[in-house]
Amino acid sequence: VKRLAWRDNPKRELWLAWYATIAFYNLYTIVFFIITRTQPPGKPWYDPNQVVGWFAGRHDGLLVGFALIFTLGGLSATSIALITYSIRRMSVSRAFAYSYLILYSVSAVPGFLFICVAMTVGAMRPDRNPAVQQWIYDFGFLSFSGTMGVFLIGSLIWMTAILLDKNGVLPKWFGYLNLCNALTEVVIAPSWIFHRGVFAWNGVIAWWIDVGVFGLYTGAFIYLLRNLIIREDFGSGPLPELAMKRTGTPVQAEIAVP
Amino acid sequence: MTTTEDAIATGRARGPRRVPGQPDMWVFVLFESLVFTSYFCVYLFFRTQHERAFLQAQSHLLLWLGVIDTIVLLTSSWTVATCVRHARAGRYDAAKRDALLTAGLGVLFLALKIVEWVRLIHAGHTFTSSEFFQYYFFLTAIHCVHLLIGFVVLGVLASQLTDPKRRVQESVETCATYWHTVDFFWVLIFALLYVVR
Repeated sequence: VKRLAWRDNPKRELWLAWYATIAFYNLYTIVFFIITRTQPPGKPWYDPNQVVGWFAGRHDGLLVGFALIFTLGGLSATSIALITYSIRRMSVSRAFAYSYLILYSVSAVPGFLFICVAMTVGAMRPDRNPAVQQWIYDFGFLSFSGTMGVFLIGSLIWMTAILLDKNGVLPKWFGYLNLCNALTEVVIAPSWIFHRGVFAWNGVIAWWIDVGVFGLYTGAFIYLLRNLIIREDFGSGPLPELAMKRTGTPVQAEIAVP
Repeated sequence: MTTTEDAIATGRARGPRRVPGQPDMWVFVLFESLVFTSYFCVYLFFRTQHERAFLQAQSHLLLWLGVIDTIVLLTSSWTVATCVRHARAGRYDAAKRDALLTAGLGVLFLALKIVEWVRLIHAGHTFTSSEFFQYYFFLTAIHCVHLLIGFVVLGVLASQLTDPKRRVQESVETCATYWHTVDFFWVLIFALLYVVR
């Protein structure tokens, strides 16, 4: 009976997208932090020979890890889609949702894919001139860290939609948290200038603090999107509050009858 | 128009409130305070590592200019607090005037900051010239980004005070909370960059 209920559940596509989002962020963390060891980033002050050594030390990890990203990285679309869905569910113009969708889709190219391509090139062409390898190394890390500003307007669009929304789709504090996240996208900009220190691409301010903020922000929106799906009634008015069972588990919202 | 007495009475009728403005704004205040605290910790850590170089670079700042900056922003905090008081009393024209005055003081602060940046750059102290000036330009610039957002916030406040249908006391207090936060960050930055020797 449960299996049949699941088949008839109109929220199953939303849950599918949510679990795909979870899968993507886990994949992202495992690939970047463990398999390829491209995060935390390499040292910005490495000379060409050190860069060659850096690529050699990670050769297999770079190939396996980024092969996984090239195959499964498209899952990132699910989180963008769910966020766009959340904006569509708000009492604001659809222009917000479309702007967010387009901005994040475009931004993913310099902010996510370029590093994967650059590092794979570096790993697969170890015989190239070390100066070229160093250029690829710089390109990879600068495109990844230095272009975070392209996500700035996207965060501000989501923030504005949340603050204007009257349907209570996402809490207002998360709207303000979007502003905190957007401000860290500004802080990363000096990484283009500095080769070492706190503002370099691996610096305490430009990387470590920003990653801390981004981690909290990502955790918060994944949790809030889950609550959104539970509360979703497929209507167009205010979303019902999150009801909890006595056991502390959330109760699914009643589906609105058109 | 609502009288002061009526407003106070209404306030009492609503019962005691825990925080002024939207509680959600206080999440922003706390979170952003944490982020700024981490910047300050990093600054102080590296300052202790190179104390002499930091002191030498710090001597190029004009303390009196920093004091004027601080007075201007603290005055703007007072005017925004007056704005809240006037809105609470139903004196919306006065409240709107206070909001615009606050924005004017913000513009004055920004102008003073630009003058200071230009003076320092002409003297050869740039973002890349020394470690102290990296922090100086970073902290003052990120603060000015918050200030620019504050102008948007004050614009929203003034526009809401103009329209009788959109006047909400909580919103006025939320905007004021943001502006006070900007001032609070400046006082800390001023103390760390200009005063602590």
